[in-house]
Amino acid sequence: MKPELVDPVEWKELTDQFDNEFGYGVSKALLGDRAPVTISRGDTKSFYLVPRDWVGSLEEERTDFEVYSLGIRMGDLKEGKFRLSLQILDALAELTDKLLVVSQQGAEAFTYSRSIIKESVIKLDSHLKRGQRVIVLNKDGEVLGLAALSVDGNRLKRLASDRLVGKNLVDIGAYLRGA
Amino acid sequence: MANRQLRQKAKELAKATGYLPYMIERYLALWGEKETIQFIEACEEQITTSVRVNSLKIDAEALRTRLHIKQVTLKPVEWLDEGFWAEFEGSPGSLFEHMLGYYYVQGVPSMTVTKVLDPHPGETVIDVAAAPGGKTTHIAQLMENTGTVIAIDEDRQRIKSLESNIQRCGVSNAIILRGDAKKLDRLGHTPDRILLDSPCSGEGLIPLDPSRKTSTSMADIRFCATREDQLLEAAVNALPSGGTMVYSTCSIAPEENEYIVDEILHRHPDMRIVAIPLEFGSPGYSQPYGVELNESMTLTRRFLPHLHGTEGFFICKLEKE
Ligand SMILES: C[S@@+](CC[C@H](N)C(=O)[O-])C[C@H]1O[C@@H](n2cnc3c(N)ncnc32)[C@H](O)[C@@H]1O
Repeated sequence: MKPELVDPVEWKELTDQFDNEFGYGVSKALLGDRAPVTISRGDTKSFYLVPRDWVGSLEEERTDFEVYSLGIRMGDLKEGKFRLSLQILDALAELTDKLLVVSQQGAEAFTYSRSIIKESVIKLDSHLKRGQRVIVLNKDGEVLGLAALSVDGNRLKRLASDRLVGKNLVDIGAYLRGA
Repeated sequence: MANRQLRQKAKELAKATGYLPYMIERYLALWGEKETIQFIEACEEQITTSVRVNSLKIDAEALRTRLHIKQVTLKPVEWLDEGFWAEFEGSPGSLFEHMLGYYYVQGVPSMTVTKVLDPHPGETVIDVAAAPGGKTTHIAQLMENTGTVIAIDEDRQRIKSLESNIQRCGVSNAIILRGDAKKLDRLGHTPDRILLDSPCSGEGLIPLDPSRKTSTSMADIRFCATREDQLLEAAVNALPSGGTMVYSTCSIAPEENEYIVDEILHRHPDMRIVAIPLEFGSPGYSQPYGVELNESMTLTRRFLPHLHGTEGFFICKLEKE
């Protein structure tokens, strides 16, 4: 399928959800001066952020070449769920406060696709709720991936050290495992 | 050496060293006995690992400091600001800094190819045979993530690695296209530069993969040469006047390198080989096996295991009038 500019109504729906989860105005800041485009493949719609001056040439028919990806991959929409790409997390981490900082040991386990247990957590905001997706960072603020909280942030103190705090959704170890 | 003598010598050497006789025959005809033996010996030596610092994510000094803590020493490659010889304790790809996209494990000849292409910020550059993206990500870094890099490959599996490397390295100015680059002239983009890092026989990779001593036949080399000719022809046709192009292979075979470029110069009088303003390697051959080729072939460069301690590579920079 060829890339298409995202329909404004669809974009609003998506970004409203996004802002709800990651903070008001985050999707606008993420988009910056780029344009959102999609490529549909089966039941999945991939979203990309591309420089505006690419838009004109995107919709040209290209029979000999299939556009596989372009610009910054934002994520994939499948069955109503938006899965964020690893590539967008660096920029998102600068814009949102939905963050979870883990210890060195926690970071290593996480990049081997493990989930995060209480003893690895260095910092988690107490107002975050169970189910919230959070960007996982190491002590140096480097982005390791994305996790879904399995407890409310304010319950963290009461958890035993081996209890699950964040379920691994995606981590940068995928770059090695996939290659 | 007379033909019969050469054949006999090749047979003996091939038997003693585990190569196919036709390969040694060609080496003897190309280099003579002394250099052939030097080549064979060099192919038994390990090639030093090298990495390219990804300036889109970190600067060289910061990476050097971080890797130093992990007992990795980096030594600069003279002609490449971003290139380093590296000594790792374990696998160079398994470090955290690699996952973070701070460096790309890449052979020095490969890094040199992109440096020779010399892409500038804001340009449109086509990387014709791009997967897994070593050169695409380098191009993007030299363009500081501006302009457009069009990365083409026809292999579905390899394109996944290309996308993964693009994401890991934080590249945001690339368009990945899947398709047959022989149809490049139908792409409808006007590039400032084109890189054709062509699929080849890999005859330069013997030091990295000893199975190549016996895995490729002369027919395979001919097959590769035909494909190289077709891809280079398509690339030349897609290059606008005033445009720059680099043709490279990881093969040491003149049949895949100087011969291919010579044919192109015959068919396209508006194309010329230009000098490479970097100090590395040694000149390409204008008379391989005694065959007279365009004199300017000496402006091309070769990396050879026995002369430069790297895998074998061929790099040619061309311009269209
Ligand atoms: C030498 S490798 C390229 C390495 C790459 N430039 C890098 O630096 O990472 C050659 C590539 O050409 C691709 N290829 C082969 N024939 C092709 C064709 N007709 N059109 C497009 N790509 C092709 C192969 O799939 C392979 O990935």
